[in-house]
Amino acid sequence: MAGNALHIRNIGSHLEPGFAVVIEAIDIDRGEVVVLDAASGTGKSTVLGLVSGAIPSDDFPDSVHVVAGQDMSPGAPHPGPQNLGFVLQTNTLVPYLDIRSNISLPLDIAGMRPDPDWFGHLCARLGIRDLMQRKPHQISVGQRQRVSIARAFLGRPALLLLDEPVSALDPANAEIVETLISLLADEAGSGVLLASHQAARGIFASARRTSYELRVFEGVSYSVFGGGDAALDACPAPRKLAGGVM
Amino acid sequence: MARSRLPWSLARRELRHEWQSAVCFVAALVGILAPLLVMLALKNGMIGTMVGRLVEDPSNREILAVGAGRYGADFYDGLAARPDVAFLLPSTRSINAQANAVRNADARQLERAVTLIPSAPGDPLVGAPAVSDGTLWVTATLAEKLGAAPGATLEMIIEREIDGRAERVRRDLSVGGIVPRDLYGRDAVFLSLNDLLAVERFRDDRTITPDTWTDARPAPETYASFRLYAATLSDIGPLLKHLDALGAQARPRAENAELLLNFRQNLNLIYTLLATLAVIGFWAAMAANLRGMVERQRIVFSLLDLLGLPTRDRQLVPVLQGQILVQCGILLTLVIVLPVTFGINLMFADGGPDVIATLGWRDVLATMALGAVTGVTATVWALRAIVSIKPSEVLRRA
Repeated sequence: MAGNALHIRNIGSHLEPGFAVVIEAIDIDRGEVVVLDAASGTGKSTVLGLVSGAIPSDDFPDSVHVVAGQDMSPGAPHPGPQNLGFVLQTNTLVPYLDIRSNISLPLDIAGMRPDPDWFGHLCARLGIRDLMQRKPHQISVGQRQRVSIARAFLGRPALLLLDEPVSALDPANAEIVETLISLLADEAGSGVLLASHQAARGIFASARRTSYELRVFEGVSYSVFGGGDAALDACPAPRKLAGGVM
Repeated sequence: MARSRLPWSLARRELRHEWQSAVCFVAALVGILAPLLVMLALKNGMIGTMVGRLVEDPSNREILAVGAGRYGADFYDGLAARPDVAFLLPSTRSINAQANAVRNADARQLERAVTLIPSAPGDPLVGAPAVSDGTLWVTATLAEKLGAAPGATLEMIIEREIDGRAERVRRDLSVGGIVPRDLYGRDAVFLSLNDLLAVERFRDDRTITPDTWTDARPAPETYASFRLYAATLSDIGPLLKHLDALGAQARPRAENAELLLNFRQNLNLIYTLLATLAVIGFWAAMAANLRGMVERQRIVFSLLDLLGLPTRDRQLVPVLQGQILVQCGILLTLVIVLPVTFGINLMFADGGPDVIATLGWRDVLATMALGAVTGVTATVWALRAIVSIKPSEVLRRA
């Protein structure tokens, strides 16, 4: 099966009447970086939500949604931190937990014990080793983002979703953090799906892009990601969309 | 960390983080609960003491026969078989239940017009040994006047008038014991029914002479009166109704016993109403507080969902927080209320064993259980809110 980290065909969500976000086809292998290349407001965060299962897909025909070999259909169990990591644009942390607990939270939820060597390595790489006893409000925005990255990487996920991970950082810090993400993804063997409007430059400039196009069909605008890729040859977009939304 | 402990850890750490809100809530709970528990302690203490005094005094359980009747064996057997009857004995007409005088020859003391009361084994006013033919118990007031003590011999003097001529008989009776003043506060003699019947027959029957008045005779078929004690204070009402149905006129010796019992019942009702209102208010405040806590942590709950924390575990967080807050509030209330009740008892103590305010372990356990139930049910709103929080909210927060 193509895409041992992520394999998707034809999932999507109607966000409001007259507008839907659709992923026609995305395949990502472990160690591979794919960039969602589209302008702001086109639904990149929604795509990541669909991939993670946080936004349930509407009923589309011939849907396939697999993360690290695990079916992600609505109602399926959470894939766990060893399969899926998520760095949020908002670097949201739990305000009443210290930094150490925030980083290990996904593994605590899964009932797994963190690998102490990997934990120490992550924190050292991200420069947050001395922040373990602090609360989120006691560290800077940039540090919070690094903590979010550590949290996502701690389970060595097969697939890492990054939603504008450096949008809140100054250019110098953004480049450093992007480099760290690339390095850690390589070390963890994670496939990466990155939503970023800054990826045209920097370390992810040469990464593979998913295609994007806006289609209008019977008065509904479809923000379509992954249409026209090689994988799409077996899944013609207009026919699928027509079958899915009508 | 073990996953099973995670909701507990999250609940506890959030409360610690938001300690000011938690302290405010606990203070509000103490503000509601403390006056309520002090009221409960006062109700328990004062009413308990009053009812205790009533219960301890058997006179309050006495039902007095009004006027003279004709009560036969069926009447007495029927009453004696009832479980709400503690003591029953036939008696004579009240006019005959009086000695013209009782004299202690040794002390040269004499008291006129002394009440005669029939007694028998089981008499709640008379201890051991019970009265028997030829022995009697005297009340403490009479014993004092006559200078009589157990073992002494008293002379009972009975008079009658036949055709304008007075006849007087005397009988020596041995003192078996003294009836304490708090059980019977007036002058009286407790003697056997046979001895009292001898007095009645001497007064009523002119064929009986001073020489034969103490001779044994068959018991009468009917009696004019009775001595009756209910088993408990609450048995008085039903017994009076039963007597009324039998056509026997009677009244309770302590009219206020029933009033106090009714007062206790009414007080319980008022307290229950007040407590219910307070619990409803507390429930509403708690429900709103927990719902507010969920709303403040809406993004966190969304994040926890995104990271895979199951709905049941997320819902456990406010449930546990509710329990922590309620039980802390109850414990703090007890820390305040128990010394207050101790102080009240100290302040109003009259040297006796009675207490003004008291809280039993049942009251404490009931309060904690009620708090737990209130805490759990008050989280329903918060639980519904958690279900409505979607993991996508944290994605769209920006």
